Amino acid sequence: MTVNIQFCEPILNTQSADRQFLSPHIVYAALLLALVAVVLISICVGYRIYSIDQVWRAVVAFDGSETSVVIANLRLPRAIIAPLMGAGLGIAGVLVQTLSRNRIASPDTLGINAGASLGVVIASFWFGVSSLTGLSIAAATGALAASVLVFAIASSAGGLSPLRIVLIGVTFAGLGHSLVEVVLSTNEAQLSQLLFWLSGAFVDRPIALAQTGGPIIVLGAVIAIFLALPLDALQADDSTAIGLGVPLVLVRGLSFLAVSLLTGAAVSMAGPVGFIGLVVPHIARWLVGLSHRRLIPAAALIGAIYATLADVVARFVVYPAEAPVGAITAVVGGIALLVLLKRRAA
Amino acid sequence: MTEMLPTAAKHRSAMSLGAIVAVFGVLSLSTVAFGSTWIPFDQIVGVILGAGEKTQRIIVLQLRLPRVVMAILAGGGMAVAGFLLQKITRNSLASPGVLGVIDGAALGVVIFLALLSNESNALVTSIAYQPVAATIGAFLAITLVFMLSGRQASSAIRLLLFGIAVAAVAKALTVIFMLIGPIYRATQAQRWLAGAVNEVNWGEIQVTAIAILPIMVLALLAARRLPPADLDETSARSVGLNLPVFRILIFALAAALTALSVAFVGAVGFIGLMAPHLARLLVGRNVYAGIIASFLLGAIFLVGADMIVRVLFAPLEVPAGTVTAIIGAPYFLFLLMGKQRNDG
Amino acid sequence: MTDNSSPRIDVRALSLSYGKVEVLQSLSLPIERGKITVLAGPNGCGKSTLLRAIRRLHKPTAGGIFLEEVDISRLGDKALARQIGLLAQSPSAPEDMTVEELVRLGRYPHQSMLQPWSPDDASALESAMAGTGVSALRHRRLGSLSGGQLQRVWIAMVLAQQTNVVCLDEPVNHLDMAHQLDCLDLVRQLKNAFGRTVVLVLHDLNLAARYADHLVFLRDGAIAAAGTPEALMTEENIARVFDVEARVITDPVHNRPLCIPINTIRP
Repeated sequence: MTVNIQFCEPILNTQSADRQFLSPHIVYAALLLALVAVVLISICVGYRIYSIDQVWRAVVAFDGSETSVVIANLRLPRAIIAPLMGAGLGIAGVLVQTLSRNRIASPDTLGINAGASLGVVIASFWFGVSSLTGLSIAAATGALAASVLVFAIASSAGGLSPLRIVLIGVTFAGLGHSLVEVVLSTNEAQLSQLLFWLSGAFVDRPIALAQTGGPIIVLGAVIAIFLALPLDALQADDSTAIGLGVPLVLVRGLSFLAVSLLTGAAVSMAGPVGFIGLVVPHIARWLVGLSHRRLIPAAALIGAIYATLADVVARFVVYPAEAPVGAITAVVGGIALLVLLKRRAA
Repeated sequence: MTEMLPTAAKHRSAMSLGAIVAVFGVLSLSTVAFGSTWIPFDQIVGVILGAGEKTQRIIVLQLRLPRVVMAILAGGGMAVAGFLLQKITRNSLASPGVLGVIDGAALGVVIFLALLSNESNALVTSIAYQPVAATIGAFLAITLVFMLSGRQASSAIRLLLFGIAVAAVAKALTVIFMLIGPIYRATQAQRWLAGAVNEVNWGEIQVTAIAILPIMVLALLAARRLPPADLDETSARSVGLNLPVFRILIFALAAALTALSVAFVGAVGFIGLMAPHLARLLVGRNVYAGIIASFLLGAIFLVGADMIVRVLFAPLEVPAGTVTAIIGAPYFLFLLMGKQRNDG
Repeated sequence: MTDNSSPRIDVRALSLSYGKVEVLQSLSLPIERGKITVLAGPNGCGKSTLLRAIRRLHKPTAGGIFLEEVDISRLGDKALARQIGLLAQSPSAPEDMTVEELVRLGRYPHQSMLQPWSPDDASALESAMAGTGVSALRHRRLGSLSGGQLQRVWIAMVLAQQTNVVCLDEPVNHLDMAHQLDCLDLVRQLKNAFGRTVVLVLHDLNLAARYADHLVFLRDGAIAAAGTPEALMTEENIARVFDVEARVITDPVHNRPLCIPINTIRP
């Protein structure tokens, strides 16, 4: 039925032209280019700087020289893990912010990251799990438990109020960290190693991590894309969403699953890196708008760029030592959060 | 809320306070008494008064009493800081932990240690300045939180969010400073940050006590003007309470108390949240009783947590801050679940 | 689908409880097709609950709702959403969402993963916005709109859903006088121009009398009276249902009953 009846006075737009978004394809192309550039920088630049053909040779014609070894075993893994992990956390951030209808929520401020760390720490220290798949599963399980608990507690006694979610999340994060410490203090020998890991780092990561973590992140991303349309509707209040035919419980449950897979995989690869899931969705929204079919891919690309960049910066901020990436993202993210709060954009 | 006759309420309040003092006394003595050798209470008192045989004196005075006294001071200080913050923000979910004060203090200490240690990891100035560094850090953090939140400070959630942001930045900078400074003795630093009472000496206690006690007195004096928790912003203003200068004073006191508690003991969380709540439950709304009860309850918590660490986890040194978190976090969540009123 | 005449809704012996409290008691109500039915009553009478039950936002403890003899509890989420649309009482959406993005949401029950935006969707979007007069505002953020404009946009969303039945839960409570009329005139057009069945919950008795084809008074979870506004708006009915002593006259402009409250009646 395409009846174009105008049965009331049309409202005229008296305000100046609103911002319209660039075509998403342009945005994706630009982001993709930026990602490639940043990954190349990540491979080439660090304690030592390598040239592109050195990198090429190391990849294509590995010759056992120190350069090749460094590039293949140290730089390359990080350059793959960082963007994967950033993409995962970026998408998870979008999901969490939509689910909680709160632009300040993110997997780490909701304690989901802490849950994942706890899963890893318990699995490796108390159950002696050492296989990468096992640790990834442990991380995802911890993330799932945390996200379910947070939302369950937040929804009890009425409504997912932003205040309640934030406080619960912060408490969970604090609790998770404390529990991690309890477990760690039963095994002091590895404490200093884990201290670094606990802040989130890409250094010294075997490429095998990407082989287990990567597919899980892809799975999480696929689930997220499937949920894109109902997630759009979920931005409105619950009654409206139900009125539109959104199966709330199913969509929320699947979203939790996706968030857990994404966060779990990310944490198992690089430890709990914070604030990526907070800042990236905002940038993505600024670039492509609120439709999740665009938000999710955009957040993946932006997250990948952001994490890789942070990794590069981490190599220089306390040169010649390396800072944990989590510290960099926390400083940037914390400042970004302050800016967002100031502008009441959240 | 049941209405009680004023005298009945006062009686109940006094009795509760008495009970708290009793628990405090017994617990403190027990913590000193407990160990590889059990020292009876009367002998402990004897040692404090100057008598007692030599090995006993060493055990009590050098090993056990210091950590108990420090726990009392730090736990009590944090609790009163939390009490002040909850009163002044009229939000029972405020605490030094959520406003970034603890992380600011921690950052202050870490910078102090990083900048003022020489190559052999020894401090070039007196340890007495550590709480100063902590206090400066705490002040800067809380000032930052309030300056940044500006007009939004009256909303609980905005304030807390600013606190979280500032805390996050402070935490990250702490890690970075731990790396660049010569204090990258990860184990020690990490444990300190988690809140541990086990390695204090009398020098540190003296510094802390000398600083905390006057502030406590100030807090008690200022307490008279603290706004009742149930008045909203506008009503409180119209009754003449909550002047801006007074507010700043209270925040400063809370920051100082937190900083002093954290300076030697590390970041002990949740005490500043739980103790004031329990105090209100037990002794009612009288402000003076509330402060005293909070102090005692905070002391009980930290001493108790330290005791739990010694009893359950020996010979491992699990930080007491971990225990307070493990107890405090679920309690906090339980509180949130029951909280019907929304002050967001 | 939308060329057929609207289906008839039948509420049969509907009972609903929140926990232990019984909110609706064995309620039966036929809702006429193609007409505006208004549910009215004092606070707590269950009018909003009934409306929400019709849209299956709540599960009944007994009885059922039938859409042309089909029990709605058997329909899938999207299938039901293509038949009955709802404008909730205090709907909310992100302040930075654009008008077009919100109206688009109305197409959710029609969208499929494989073809998320079909030509039908596009034309439905355009006619919904044109019909409510908000086309020029399509790129404006919701936060920048006035109350009246915003309410039109929400109605546009429900319009885009292209349902035969439209439910509106107290749509004019927060609007000023001019926008109340604006909004309700628009709602009336849904019936006049498109033959939709409209079920409306209204707080203001006089507005209810003016716009209803069929008026229903509810009290304490049961139907106290049902019929035309002329039949229902009597002084005894108003006293009985609303605990108010009132005078009822005929509005000289619209020829509908007009209620003038005088005194509260202590029950």
